Amino acid sequence: MVKYVFKRLALSVLTLFIVITIVFVLLRQMPIEGYFDNFEKLSEAQINVKLANLGLTKPIPAQLWDFYAKLFQGDFGTSTRYSVGTSIAGIIAQKAPLSIQMGLMSMALSLLMGIPLGAAMARSKNKFWDKFGTVFIVFINAVPAAVYYIFIQLYGTDWMHISLLFDRTNWITWILPVFSMSLGSTASYAMWLRRYMLDEINKDYVRLARAKGVVSQKIMMRHVFRNAFVPMIQYIPASILYTISGSIYIESLYSVPGMGGLLVDVIGRQDNPMVQTLVMLYSAIGIIGMLLGDLLMAVIDPRISFVKKEGAR
Amino acid sequence: MDQEPILSVQNLNVKFSLRGKMLHAIRDVSLDLYKGETLAIVGESGSGKSVLTKTFMGLMDQNGWIDSGSILYNGQDLAKFKSEKEWLTIRGKEIAMVLQDPMTSLNPLKTIGMQIEEAIALHQHVTGPEAHKRAVALLSDVGIPEPERRSRQYPHEFSGGMRQRVVIAIAMACNPKILICDEPTTALDVTIQAQILHLIRDLVRKYHLTTVYITHDLGVVANVADRVAVMYAGDIVEIGMAREVFYDAKHPYTWALLSSLPQLGVKGEKLFSIQGTPPSLYQEIKGDAFAPRNPQALKIDFERRPPMFEVSPTHFARTWLLHPDAPKVDPPPVLKRLKQEELA
Repeated sequence: MVKYVFKRLALSVLTLFIVITIVFVLLRQMPIEGYFDNFEKLSEAQINVKLANLGLTKPIPAQLWDFYAKLFQGDFGTSTRYSVGTSIAGIIAQKAPLSIQMGLMSMALSLLMGIPLGAAMARSKNKFWDKFGTVFIVFINAVPAAVYYIFIQLYGTDWMHISLLFDRTNWITWILPVFSMSLGSTASYAMWLRRYMLDEINKDYVRLARAKGVVSQKIMMRHVFRNAFVPMIQYIPASILYTISGSIYIESLYSVPGMGGLLVDVIGRQDNPMVQTLVMLYSAIGIIGMLLGDLLMAVIDPRISFVKKEGAR
Repeated sequence: MDQEPILSVQNLNVKFSLRGKMLHAIRDVSLDLYKGETLAIVGESGSGKSVLTKTFMGLMDQNGWIDSGSILYNGQDLAKFKSEKEWLTIRGKEIAMVLQDPMTSLNPLKTIGMQIEEAIALHQHVTGPEAHKRAVALLSDVGIPEPERRSRQYPHEFSGGMRQRVVIAIAMACNPKILICDEPTTALDVTIQAQILHLIRDLVRKYHLTTVYITHDLGVVANVADRVAVMYAGDIVEIGMAREVFYDAKHPYTWALLSSLPQLGVKGEKLFSIQGTPPSLYQEIKGDAFAPRNPQALKIDFERRPPMFEVSPTHFARTWLLHPDAPKVDPPPVLKRLKQEELA
């Protein structure tokens, strides 16, 4: 098990390295106009000075080397355009906690809503809950998120008599952004759980449990649900990514001072060090999420084992 | 064998609705199951043998229903059961089942011990360490070595034959009166098949169970059955003591079935196979269902359904050939060899 985890971690680091390098190189292919607010008015000399200051005049491999050298010392660099001269670690440390808090809350909420909905759908195939859930899932997947986010914001705030914008100190204003953020994952949990539960219901061991005389409610909980949950486990850490992508738009809608909008913002301004750091951060979260998913599966499912066992038969 | 029926099926009709069409899966079947006997139901795939036994436990698929008829057990008519609560008084407690495929009939996420204990908790009303002790004892009963250690393992750590033993242990844990074995050896290696059959036979004797075997393996039938019922197209066409059905069969379908036994084949010649396909159960069947595949069918076979004729007090067959006015048709000569060559 430990050996497996180490192997996976090593592979994760390699993945991360590849992602960062690609992003790094791609960023260097951008037109240089993006680094200036007033490109047309500057002389060639001025432009070259600024580019040299940004470290962009060296050959790309040399730039890459510098970047990694600094990174290994724990230095993420400073922002060059977004907030000139501020350390990137500082910017993220200031913005991340709120986003993480909201993200975790919305993940918890989507589990709380999605799992019971999926289970109810599987139990009442073609009856009310199944139809209700199907409409919900199709709606969430078919309608662009931006549309229902706005409707939730407009009607939700109106109904609750609160302002359109987020206020950290007023807990009521947390409800709508967290709820909106959780909808995507809720729909995917419900959809997959329903499907996996229906798969399990038709299996022989469920028939045997019925023949044994187990009450159908217990069959659902003890046998069907647990088995259906195994493949679901993979999706839970992966939904961190969903939540992140959802947060980008929602945070700007409600003016949440988190880091959701940050990535889009810094890409627009070609703040290379910030883009690199954020991409690295998000990829790291994603990769760790997947690893966590695989490990969780092994905890739940005895058939998955990372060590070779002897005498299995 | 007592002559007292423990379960009595009368004029049972079962229908299914499939994609808007209606399928008549069990056609007016009557059957008495006697206390302590081992009855084998044989027939080809789709003849309704599984469906018939599923109705005893209310385990039919959602799209199937009992159209008419009754299943009398212990003074109750199981055909009238509607709610799960009623069925729970039967399932496991009175009738237990061993399914065909041991590779899929255990929950992969629970230890063997837990799955047996679940049945013990339900039907012997003990839990905790005592239930565990009984589960281990059962495992040892069904011939699993190191039962204590094995009880803490998961199904994937067992081979197919071992899993089938576990499934049998679960059935035994229920303390049933009737054991239904739905092709218990079909999915197993030939070498294991005999062991499992012996095990079931020993347990049936030890616990005085009434057993129903569903199978299309006539070798199994010869080994275990007291009585044999031959099903064709949702109907029992012949029923009798095993030796009567094997050595003195009356129905042309039974003849055809027996003729296709590989033991009767002659080296170098093709094995006998029944021509044609079973009739569609979507349409009402007129006359004898086997007539279209029977080269010697009489005219009346296509027109009127034959009644059950009595051959002996224990032997009945549904064929017009037994009518006093029927022409004499001899069974295929190859069947005479059955008498000489002791089966299996």
